[in-house]
Amino acid sequence: MRLSLLITTLPLLALTARAAVDYEKDVRPVLDDHCTDCHGEDKQKNGLRLDTVHGILKGSDSGEPLYLKGSSADSLLIRMVTSTDPKHQMPPKGARVPAAQVEILKAWINEGAKMPGEAEAAESLKLKTDHWSFQPVKRPEVPKSGNAWARNEVDEFLLAKMTEKGLTPSAPADPRTLVRRLYLVMHGMPPSPEEVEAFVQSYKPHEPYTAYSELVKKVLASPRRGERWARHWMDVVRYADTNGFETNRERKTAYHYRDWIIESFNADKPYDQFVREQIAGDALEADAATGFLVAGTHDIVKSPDINLTLMQREDELADMVNTTGTAFMGLTMGCARCHNHKFDPILQKDYFAMQAIFAGVNHGERPLRRKQDAASAAQFTALKTEEAAKQTALAALREKAAQAVMTAQGKLRPQVNARENVETFATVEAASVRFTINASSGSQPCIDELEIYDESGKNVALAASGAVATASGTLPGYVIHKLEHLNDGQVGNARSWISNADTGWVQISFPVKARINRIIWSRDRNAQLADRVAVSYRIEAAAEPDKWTTIAGSEDREPFKGAVNPDAFLARLSEEDASEARQIMAEIAALQPRIAAASGTVNAYAGTFSQPGKTHRLYRGEPLQKREVVAPDALTVMTSLNMAVDEPEQQRRVKFAQWITSPQHPLTARVMVNRIWHYIFGTGIVGTPSDFGINGARPTHPELLDWLADEFVKSGWSVKHIQRLILLSAAFQQSSTPSLSSLPYAKIDADGLYHWRFTPRRLEAEAIRDATLSVSGALDLRMGGPGFYLMDVVEENVMHYFAKEKFTPAEFRRMVYQFRIRQTTDSVFSSFDCPDGGQVMPKRSRSNTPLQALNLFNSSFVLQQSELLAARLKKEAGDTPEAQADRAFALFYNRPPDAWEREQSAAMIKAEGLLSFCRALYNSSEFLFMF
Amino acid sequence: MLLNRRHFLSQTASGLSSIALTQLLTREGLMAAAPIRPEINPANPNAARKPHREPKAKNVLMIFCSGAVSHMDTFDYKPDLIKYHGQPMPGGEKLITFQGEQGELTKSPWEFKPCGKCGKMVSDLVPHLGALADDMCFIHSLTGKTNTHGPGENFMSTGNTLDAYPSMGSWMTYALGTENETLPAYVAIPDPRGAPQSAGNFWGSGYLPAAFQGTDFNTANPVRNLARPAAFTPEKDKATRDFLARMNRHHMEKYPGDSELAARISSYELAARMQLSVPEVSDISTEPAHILKLYGADAAGNPVQDLKAAYAKNCILARRLIEKGVRFVQLFNGAYQTGGEGVSNWDGHKVLAEQYAKHGVVMDQPTAALLADMKQRGLLKDTLVVWCTEFGRMPTFQKGASGRDHNPNGFTAWLAGAGVKPGMSYGATDEFGYKAVDKVATVYDFHATILDILGLDHERLTYYHNGFERRLTDVHGHVIRDILA
Repeated sequence: MRLSLLITTLPLLALTARAAVDYEKDVRPVLDDHCTDCHGEDKQKNGLRLDTVHGILKGSDSGEPLYLKGSSADSLLIRMVTSTDPKHQMPPKGARVPAAQVEILKAWINEGAKMPGEAEAAESLKLKTDHWSFQPVKRPEVPKSGNAWARNEVDEFLLAKMTEKGLTPSAPADPRTLVRRLYLVMHGMPPSPEEVEAFVQSYKPHEPYTAYSELVKKVLASPRRGERWARHWMDVVRYADTNGFETNRERKTAYHYRDWIIESFNADKPYDQFVREQIAGDALEADAATGFLVAGTHDIVKSPDINLTLMQREDELADMVNTTGTAFMGLTMGCARCHNHKFDPILQKDYFAMQAIFAGVNHGERPLRRKQDAASAAQFTALKTEEAAKQTALAALREKAAQAVMTAQGKLRPQVNARENVETFATVEAASVRFTINASSGSQPCIDELEIYDESGKNVALAASGAVATASGTLPGYVIHKLEHLNDGQVGNARSWISNADTGWVQISFPVKARINRIIWSRDRNAQLADRVAVSYRIEAAAEPDKWTTIAGSEDREPFKGAVNPDAFLARLSEEDASEARQIMAEIAALQPRIAAASGTVNAYAGTFSQPGKTHRLYRGEPLQKREVVAPDALTVMTSLNMAVDEPEQQRRVKFAQWITSPQHPLTARVMVNRIWHYIFGTGIVGTPSDFGINGARPTHPELLDWLADEFVKSGWSVKHIQRLILLSAAFQQSSTPSLSSLPYAKIDADGLYHWRFTPRRLEAEAIRDATLSVSGALDLRMGGPGFYLMDVVEENVMHYFAKEKFTPAEFRRMVYQFRIRQTTDSVFSSFDCPDGGQVMPKRSRSNTPLQALNLFNSSFVLQQSELLAARLKKEAGDTPEAQADRAFALFYNRPPDAWEREQSAAMIKAEGLLSFCRALYNSSEFLFMF
Repeated sequence: MLLNRRHFLSQTASGLSSIALTQLLTREGLMAAAPIRPEINPANPNAARKPHREPKAKNVLMIFCSGAVSHMDTFDYKPDLIKYHGQPMPGGEKLITFQGEQGELTKSPWEFKPCGKCGKMVSDLVPHLGALADDMCFIHSLTGKTNTHGPGENFMSTGNTLDAYPSMGSWMTYALGTENETLPAYVAIPDPRGAPQSAGNFWGSGYLPAAFQGTDFNTANPVRNLARPAAFTPEKDKATRDFLARMNRHHMEKYPGDSELAARISSYELAARMQLSVPEVSDISTEPAHILKLYGADAAGNPVQDLKAAYAKNCILARRLIEKGVRFVQLFNGAYQTGGEGVSNWDGHKVLAEQYAKHGVVMDQPTAALLADMKQRGLLKDTLVVWCTEFGRMPTFQKGASGRDHNPNGFTAWLAGAGVKPGMSYGATDEFGYKAVDKVATVYDFHATILDILGLDHERLTYYHNGFERRLTDVHGHVIRDILA
């Protein structure tokens, strides 16, 4: 007895004494004893062979690896030999593998599962690809044509291809066309007539290059460039300002990421750094940059149904994995979510290895870390004072609106709203005020703050001034809903009171009697929630105990019909007062980012991070079909980052970002230089800018692509450098007009892929809108901060958005600053293939539809701009129709009209008026296209 | 992408997109069948195109009921619910559905009666529709992938639960264009109460070009920017348009034959024609009194009747659009969730009997009249009518409530008109209506079948986007051949 115990424990003792398990001596005998009858030289059940290192590494036909190095607990081999389930256990019949031998296998795996000849076997099993984009970038020899047309290396490559195809380049574009093209491409706006004239003056036909190089320098230095190229990047990374799905709530702090993109392009931040910050900005002092990770859609409808919750999380992570793959590497990782990629060398395991990189990233806001110094603290106080003054002025106008209604015969006050309700009444003396709610808009009523103002404008309800709140009852069990929140000076659902019943009352008693004349109350002043609003209520004051007098109530309000636009009071003001109120509101809104910046604590929708659990490969991508554990990693076909299964969260992203931005990475530089090419010429060298896989297009100029990619990395990943190279090429400066000699080229190269001319194209939605505003003179070039709205917002438990039909100067900023709302179409520009950020859009369509024509010809927006433009023309060109036409042509097309055009235009202005003329020009092809 | 192609001088010149296509074709074996991608003329993207083979239907009228209509209260008769009313559903105690735990099995508040010659059992909630049972082809075994409205509505309308995929109507117009170019090829008619929750996805074109977006209008809200601005007289408007055309033609002399510029010019001509044809088709005042009465467009007297009249007018508009040859008409019954669950659509979680009593009145007579009117006018010969919703509801009431929770495991849709067998019921849910058990069909199958009736092969109608040739049916879907006429 004693002896046998000694014998069975011996191997264990031996193991602890020994440094490492040896495959040949310890592991192989175990496998030979129990496995190789079915999985050996003679038989390979399920394709598995355990008598060779190669076979062990390869695993069975299921694709699931036999073990996970370092973690026996997660290893299939151990699970099978220890299972007691007859369906899963190995060996399936006969004796089980003795515990001591299982311990040997476990120890072997835990120590790294080392095998002699492993490296060679792994090499032979390695996933390989000969697809062009996975091969290292090699700087090719630049062809030497000796042709004086070629301005730089770009031209040499293009010329070589043209020669091969039997094409020759076109003549240079005239200077006016060229300067206009340059601005539209690089800034997304036409140049001013003055900029054009300056260029034309300095342009010498015998030496055109000098003036043009200077112009390129100037255009590259302008902040308009960052705005234009940020908008392109926002397409690539599916940026929008709402969650999408049915609730589609706003993300009011997402714009920090947009600002970061704009700043990055303007600073010519090295592209490798630009990429790293978006993946791991929290580790690189660029917090806003991780807005990239969470810029996609997010389903916030939660359910107790676990299947739904898991699938939502899988979809969130898929969005991050897919966008990272397409944006930076031009790889469609999403295709490997359910199975190995059908076309590209991407395993399903790779998808989950990449999912593990992002497994700790969650949607949500995070504070941007900034330091508040003494200067900004002082600024903060000053800004808050400024804001308070404006709020007071606005309150006066709101009161005016309320008074206007009260005095109007038979007119009712506006219905209550969730955000802010003002009650004004003749001054009364009060020791207490009672607010009785008889009905709410749904569920137990909620008040986030009750403010009672005395004649001097002081809020006497504040607990801090000694006022005491009592109530009929409070919804039990919630930290965020408490009676003391009623008068704590803090607003929002998280600092609110909710009644314990469908009706109820609250009372505020003052320490000394006060002379009050105004009450402000709200359900949620942060405008996140709009249920539980008191819709039937009475407010009473008492100077002596129980001597209540009604001072306000819902009787004189319009009946509650649902959520309303909080700006409804504007309609009750005179046009003058309303415009003053709008101005003040715009100013208050404009103060917010400055206040936020000075406060030292700013939140941004840039994701939150937490250490995740283990990531499993999911059979067919189904959340409940967990397979083996997968460690965070790069693509198998390229390399391994050798990260642990439980690698610290941030490290996963940092290491992954370093790998993507390695100068040796075959895809990153190629993909970006191709995007730059695509946005300059309208088509890429690779026609599928986010798909460099087998299903994507082949490069038309592979050598040029590689040369540019190499040049990009060598220049320190300078986007500006590549842009300059392309802009200074003769190819870019060519005319777009076909000549007699180039007519046959259309048959060879209809799409202009070989650059025998500059191919014209329609402007994108944003460029059309920016150009429209720029021409009318209304464009507001303020940069950064929260976006403007092209939709009116009505809040409920789901959000409703309605396209605006009236626009104020607040909406006259560049369209990159539009608060982009998923699933909505604005009144003009969505029909111009303007994406809503629901999906990545690496390449926009250019549709041409009658609805576009209707939108430009009849919309209130274009009509308003036409009016502004007509006024501008009168101011700048006087009353002569010919002069007005000249000025209009300079603004719209950066050229003077020809004789026919001048005559036609003048006749049009004379017959139909300047407004009709402006309306027509806003619809003209020459304005809407770049040539 | 096809639209990006610049047909310079030659409409038949080949370009990048065909290079990608060639690459695909040369790799035969990777795909079951080579994709058939419609040749889009950028100068006229909605020009009529031929389907893959002889179609059974040319147009589609899709009636979508937002909020998830309960199948066991309408078309899926479950006598066992009466028998076991008030008892727990076997195995139901562990079920966690969208809003939580389940109460007891609950029979429908409405009686079911045999309808038509086929004797189909239909509920008293929808008697007018029941009377047309002989014209309908019911699918009782539909299954979805999600139990949330947004993703569910996305799935039914785009074949994907996520946002921003092309809608079915966009796929159809991409494939087929339209016979009547003076009206939009694809019209969405929102409910009088407002658009559904995922409106942007319902008629959005996703990654397809914006030319294939649906245009939304109804009898109360006209097409946006259709009307001439009040600031211009008709004469001034025309003079402006003529001046614009002259300027555009003059400019185009530098780019002879450029199809994108030519298309720009013709889009203004088409827009002008639409300004006449859309108000004309939307003006239902020309309809005779008996037609208005048939649809219930004359109903009045209380809010429910008013709503019925408003929806009825939309039904008449739908018929008029089909008559004019609009390729895809999407008619909505039910709006977004507003004012609380089940108030403005079919989302009857809490007080189903009370809410459905109103929704039934609004939907039943006008929808039935639409079907009957189309039949009497011979429109069903070329038009496929599809009635559907995002998913079904539970046979139980929710714990502590008098309504039913979401249920994507089995629900009902019906088809009528061209291409389908009338008076037929296909597939079945279990004895309580909880789960599809017989001839289980997916939403992919449903879409594949609709495309098939239009003469389109769902596996070959593709559009390249971000990595592969995309389809309405993703990589799934089988045509439900049993229901095809």
